[in-house]
Amino acid sequence: MAKKDKEEDEFRPTGTIAVLTVFVITLIAIWATIYAILVQRGGTL
Amino acid sequence: MSTQKMHIDRYERNWMIVSAVLLVLFASAVSVAAFGMGIQVPAPEQRVNPNTVATDPNSPWSNPGLREVAPGKYDAYILAHAIPNWEYLPKEISVPVGSTVSFYVTSPDVQHGFKVQNTNANFMVIPGQVSKLTVTFDEPGTYNYICTEYCGSGHGVMYGAITVTP
Amino acid sequence: MNQYQVSPAEKKFIGSHILVAILALAVGSLFGPLQAFEHAGWDFYQYLKPFIKSYYQGLTVHGVLNALVWTTFFIMGFLTFLVIFGLKRQLKNPTLNKVGFWMMVVGVVAAAIPILTNQATVLFTFYPPLKANWAFYVGLTLVVVGSWVEGWGLFMTYAAWRKENPNERTPFVAFASLITAALWQICTLGVAVEILTMLLPLSLGLIDGVDPQLARTYFWFTGHPLVYFWLLPAYISWYAFLPRQASNSKMFSDSLARLAFWIFLVLSTPLGFHHQYVDPGVPPAWKFIHSMLTFGVFFPSMMTAFTVIASLEMGARKSGGKGAFGWIGKLNWSDPSVAAQLLAGILFFFGGMGGLTNASYNVNLVLHNTAFIPGHFHLTVATAVTLSFMGISYWLVPYLTGRKLWQPKWATIQAWVWFVGMIIFSNSMHVLGLLGAPRRVPLGLAPYVPAEWNSRLFQVGLGGAILFVSGAIYLLVMLKTATNKERVESEVIVPVADSLQDVAQTPEWLDRWAPWLYGTLALIVVVYGPQLVDQIANIALTSPGFRVW
Repeated sequence: MAKKDKEEDEFRPTGTIAVLTVFVITLIAIWATIYAILVQRGGTL
Repeated sequence: MSTQKMHIDRYERNWMIVSAVLLVLFASAVSVAAFGMGIQVPAPEQRVNPNTVATDPNSPWSNPGLREVAPGKYDAYILAHAIPNWEYLPKEISVPVGSTVSFYVTSPDVQHGFKVQNTNANFMVIPGQVSKLTVTFDEPGTYNYICTEYCGSGHGVMYGAITVTP
Repeated sequence: MNQYQVSPAEKKFIGSHILVAILALAVGSLFGPLQAFEHAGWDFYQYLKPFIKSYYQGLTVHGVLNALVWTTFFIMGFLTFLVIFGLKRQLKNPTLNKVGFWMMVVGVVAAAIPILTNQATVLFTFYPPLKANWAFYVGLTLVVVGSWVEGWGLFMTYAAWRKENPNERTPFVAFASLITAALWQICTLGVAVEILTMLLPLSLGLIDGVDPQLARTYFWFTGHPLVYFWLLPAYISWYAFLPRQASNSKMFSDSLARLAFWIFLVLSTPLGFHHQYVDPGVPPAWKFIHSMLTFGVFFPSMMTAFTVIASLEMGARKSGGKGAFGWIGKLNWSDPSVAAQLLAGILFFFGGMGGLTNASYNVNLVLHNTAFIPGHFHLTVATAVTLSFMGISYWLVPYLTGRKLWQPKWATIQAWVWFVGMIIFSNSMHVLGLLGAPRRVPLGLAPYVPAEWNSRLFQVGLGGAILFVSGAIYLLVMLKTATNKERVESEVIVPVADSLQDVAQTPEWLDRWAPWLYGTLALIVVVYGPQLVDQIANIALTSPGFRVW
């Protein structure tokens, strides 16, 4: 068990964080673009 | 058994926090648009009998069309039907620029869609129900309204148009 | 390491599922490109008139066979394998599972006859009051009930295993499969009620009309969790197989993977109104609540993304992978099963982005029923799910048949061709949707199509052509594998990854069913109950059926 913990402490998932950062930025960009279309078109009540 | 603790990696915990924050941000933006700017989805408006809605003289859809309810404010009663030839009644309407139009749409036969291009008016049309949304036309031009739900062989030709005059 | 041996009879049984699935995919995929070609202005339907009457009949065949039959059969086969292999135990009552399987087969045949004779051109959502031939509804019912019966067989097997192993943690692949099967049992109640109380009686002439709004509410009770029923088997493969296949790695977090599956069970049903945001008969407050829960169910997918990618990275670093992105090149891309699943996962990122946007309550006004929607679900069900299943079949079919995979290089090419074709197809569909193009329309003929859509419509056709090539290669590889004279040298190793942590350390509360099941049912009662009661209390069976095709 102790050995496994050590092995894991050594692993920093930097590549995972890099990939997910790209994902989050793209997600925000796409979502915000479509949200902007909605807002620009105005109210429906 | 209960002494076993769930193991969560430090980086993974941070990622979960980021995810939660992101989702809260999206939810907030949606709420602002809905409750602050009045960009809302359709609400239950009225139930009708699809078998009589197009023919009963007391039904506004027996005489579909545009009614001016106040200066610059219109109610558009629109009938979406597959039978006999997949069309909206009326096929064309015209309003001056700056008009606010409330669309009241229903169907005497199958389900349809109703989407006014380049506006937020986009909803299902369901027999027995009346769908309503309101939009303001600030730019002159022609805005097609098209059927967005499969309603039989003629679904692809079902559309109408609003002319917004300067 | 000696793996548990699945018996030859059970392999054959699992293989029968995969066979039906691939046959359905073969027929259904013929029609996908025809829809895409039509958009580009190449209308082949005019030449098919003797057999297929319309674009919409073709679309019905494509949707029903690909989205419903291919997925359900592949999934039931794969889940059966995972339960047997995971629990290291034969099915408790194989006859029961066989009965379920044959009910599903009979159901597919019963539904196929009216579809192919143009008696059920109602698309795969079959919204009333469109009225198909009764055999269509009987067929669908048999498929659903058959899948329930198979699910019961799996639960009985689990119960027997639990009795024999009272203190063990359920092995992950079996655990996740059982949750997927349970989710399916719960959510399909909606469509079962819709068919049995409205659609089937209407088609038989027993009632004069239906309530189309209530029917939609029933349908979408099933319709969104259906997406998770498709997706979770792919997630199981990404969590538990892909790390070992791609980089000889381990599962990064067993506990979080299990927690993610429980969250999927709890949250995936009570959010169906996010498909009904623009329905007139559902109050906005309930739509809003369902949209918030939809944001909630995005969360376990984010967890999945982290765990899966970290598992892959861990292995890739060990084999010398460097840099923020360079490690990705160290994954075992030459294995077709790996390439297919990795490419499926990459496109799923974009599927997730589009899905979250659709689900964002009023943002749906921009997108509802536009071409954006099929653009979106061709990234999810037609890529994340389908391309992953193709990848799984590249090791599973040799495992089940004892025959070597024919030309692994062609299998790898197939995955890449799918990836490229889908990027072109799906991107243009998303853009068309944002420009206002409706879904489910033969846009090549529609009178309102502006010139600015034309270049995108061409790309839809181009993407469809490339996907057609990929589908053809897949079928060729499968056919050649199933008839391959070259046998595998020894038993194919099932590439299941170990957990980084000791599984015995996984908390016990993650292996207890009752609280999660009660929680699921309670949440459904709270967020669906009031609307169901209200809509049923105010039911108006006033809409007569129509055949408008």
